[in-house]
Amino acid sequence: MSTELKEAVKPPSYGAGAPDKDAFTGRNGVPLYARNGVQSDYRTYEIYQRERVHEATDKIRPIQLVSEEFARDPYPALEILRENYPFYRDWLGNSFWVTRYDDVTSIFTDEANFETRPKRWFYGIEDLGRDLGQELPVLEAQARGIDANAERIAREIVEGFASNGGTDLAIEFAARFPMELLACVLDLPRQDFPQFVERYWRMQRGHLWEPKTRQSGLQAIRDLVAYFRPLIEARRAAPGDDLVSAIAGLDTDGGPATAEDLVITLLEQDHETLHGALSNMWFLLLTHPEQMERVKAERRMLKFAYLETLRHSAPVLTAHRFSRHEVERFGRLIPIGALLHCSAAAANRDPRQYKNPDDFIVGRKDLCQREPRGQYRADGLPAGIAVGLGKPTRHPAVPEDRPRSLYAITRDTATTASNVLLEMLPALKLKPGAAPTLRCLRLGEMHTCWSLPVIF
Amino acid sequence: MMNTEPFASVFARAVGADALAGDSDSDMQALFPLMPLGQTVDMGHAPDGTPLIDPRLFYSAEFRRNPWPYYRLMRDHYPVFHNQLNNTYYVTRYDDMTECYFDDIGFNTIPKGSSNGVLGNVTHELSGVEHRRRRNLFGQHLVGKALDNRVPAIERLAQEMIDDWENVDAHWKIDRDGVRTIELGQAFADAFPVRVVCDVLGFPKEARGNFVYWYNSIMGGLGASETHKQGMEARQHLEDYVESIVEERRARPTFLYDNDGNVIGKDIISKLCESQVDGDYLSTEEITALIALVVAGGGETTRGTLMNMWYSLLQHPDQTDAVARDESLWDAVFHETLRHSNPIGGQPRHNTFDVQIHGIHIPAGSLIEMVNFSGSHDERIFKDPDSFNIFRPDLYTGKLLRSGYRKEGKCSHMAFGVGPHMCPGAWISHQEAVIGSRIIARTMKNPRINVDRMPKDIDGVSLAPIGINKTRELWLDYDLA
Repeated sequence: MSTELKEAVKPPSYGAGAPDKDAFTGRNGVPLYARNGVQSDYRTYEIYQRERVHEATDKIRPIQLVSEEFARDPYPALEILRENYPFYRDWLGNSFWVTRYDDVTSIFTDEANFETRPKRWFYGIEDLGRDLGQELPVLEAQARGIDANAERIAREIVEGFASNGGTDLAIEFAARFPMELLACVLDLPRQDFPQFVERYWRMQRGHLWEPKTRQSGLQAIRDLVAYFRPLIEARRAAPGDDLVSAIAGLDTDGGPATAEDLVITLLEQDHETLHGALSNMWFLLLTHPEQMERVKAERRMLKFAYLETLRHSAPVLTAHRFSRHEVERFGRLIPIGALLHCSAAAANRDPRQYKNPDDFIVGRKDLCQREPRGQYRADGLPAGIAVGLGKPTRHPAVPEDRPRSLYAITRDTATTASNVLLEMLPALKLKPGAAPTLRCLRLGEMHTCWSLPVIF
Repeated sequence: MMNTEPFASVFARAVGADALAGDSDSDMQALFPLMPLGQTVDMGHAPDGTPLIDPRLFYSAEFRRNPWPYYRLMRDHYPVFHNQLNNTYYVTRYDDMTECYFDDIGFNTIPKGSSNGVLGNVTHELSGVEHRRRRNLFGQHLVGKALDNRVPAIERLAQEMIDDWENVDAHWKIDRDGVRTIELGQAFADAFPVRVVCDVLGFPKEARGNFVYWYNSIMGGLGASETHKQGMEARQHLEDYVESIVEERRARPTFLYDNDGNVIGKDIISKLCESQVDGDYLSTEEITALIALVVAGGGETTRGTLMNMWYSLLQHPDQTDAVARDESLWDAVFHETLRHSNPIGGQPRHNTFDVQIHGIHIPAGSLIEMVNFSGSHDERIFKDPDSFNIFRPDLYTGKLLRSGYRKEGKCSHMAFGVGPHMCPGAWISHQEAVIGSRIIARTMKNPRINVDRMPKDIDGVSLAPIGINKTRELWLDYDLA
């Protein structure tokens, strides 16, 4: 094999800075490149072969993207994709990976060509109920319940372990707080709490690829529907100020709300951002003492720590989008129905957007420090992509009485709870010898810290 | 806040204590231990008793050696199995696959580029009339009278190789006490199909060395493997070589000869040079793509078939004896081997429209894998499908038909697929395997497997099953006198 030939099969420098001087663009905007100075042409009879000829993807094997290693630490593999194959065709997983910031946001904002499928589609229960999460009374009841109770609940939780000298923050705080808050917003009887937590978690985990977890999740959905059926009837008759009553009182085009609607609404409005952000933020603060000092010195920095956490270690790594039509993007023809993994984790560490993207810097200057309201840039700066919050809202941005955005509610709740923790346990630090890490319980799930032992 | 059960224990129950501890699923061996043949790992059950299938199974060693009971689970409970880890649908029953294969508009081969550019613009990724035209261009040289004309050459090549056994490296051939121990792959099966392809295409003998390089690199570079780049390089190298040959053959065609040195006809490259589509001659690039496909398709499959044939047959002494008495039974050995353990697992299709098969909704554009492996073991078609029996009454062993065969209680196997995309090399591969085996069988007296040198199954005693692997090495003993 001559060296000349080896040179010739070098992949084109697609999308990476200055164009290769030998590269040229084909009739349909597809980057092609010259071989030995001679223009090559499409090797095609058909539109589907308008792919880049001679692209080799040997820096990654697709099995790496479904490995246990990837579930523990996806960042090295994602970096390979982002820096070499920004629009990677995964033959094994029958999908595409989008990994650069601008590319990911361009897919997120292109509702005309790419659709989001709700969790119940992955469950295969699309006919079960309606997602009422966008109804004004529901949003208002949620906001009311959270604003009124978040601080009190955080205080009660911390009081519960304050005298123990130490605890596992990941479980006792990050996992527990969103559950206590949700149970409070729903105004559930206290004795039902353990059972509710168990069913809720099984439901949230079950939509993924693992069949046993799915069966368990389906059973949890059935159980939750049976549980909420009498409760919703009772609240319809005697409404309170809680979320169940708000849903019970709804009578939309599709008829009065049912227990199925309530459960589906809960399924689609998960708690992952709050749980994951709390857990990851405290993990990052405790393992970055200098950042912790900044936050302790100036409490308003907690909000920036939260934003930086969602950028640096987003709990939800990936959003799925499906192409609605055959559409050409990033130099490839995407067939109808194709699955795109839009990787928030990769995009949030894109060096094209952030300086030293792998560093955790509270208050970094190149991150948008205010709520981006459904756009991904404000003040000309990129925001961290938090996938759970990328869901489009159907409420317009303009009217004054627009419901407060869930993005802001979640952010404020996380900072409120963290403030309480910081205030009540000023000597909080990592348990000596502990080496906490982030990981997914199973491939595709939330990437977060599951054990964070602390002493105070 | 009322104190009930501690939150940590509630949470551990909800999520699973194993998962929280972090040691749950990392060990594939523990997840899918090697089972006795015919038994399956318990992957859990749905409330109605339906067994569940964990998609990680398909990556496990257990599945590779013992796939048949799992395919049976799929056929019985999930005739269309949606693998959500890999975003793929598997169709596993014989009749369903046949249905899909014949509808090449509804189930097209658009996945395109599953060869990832290594094969180039290959025919099997086209559909409809585009596909038919190009397939027939080279397919016609591999069937019927054209194929009959090649039989003498195939016989000659096989005999040459066997005559050369005296010179096989001592590592692969040991003569002791009147018994010769030989590795069939090294001695015959690895090189034979490549030589036949080389000859059929009309490549000069000097190209044989390159051929092995092209062949290995291109096969290794298929799909999205780490050797993909090597495959691309080999593809380029092949293209450059073919380009030079084609230019020459356009001016001076070359010919095939029979055993007496008479001209039979032009070789395939010379024929392709004068073929036309819509009034245009084929471009060099198009010819290279066709040749790359023949190179890739004509080697490994036939090699695997030859090895699997001998490995399976020799494990059944009564059937071995019958074949020794009646050479015509090699056709049945060929077909039964391909039914029982064929080297190609299945073919991908994309559905053009939303479809519903067995109650499973498949959105347009999904990747559907037609599992040929499973179709050939469908108990709805073949009785006792997991046993190897060349005398089975329900397998059709006559002339291969693109329409498939299904009459009088007999069916064709699925190894080559059926319908418009049925393997164009099926007929020549049949001739290679059967002719080669006959000549080997005439040479070997009382052939048997050298059990000591062969890999064993989990019990450490019996021979390793083929499963969906191919037989890599096959050590045979035979009497010299």
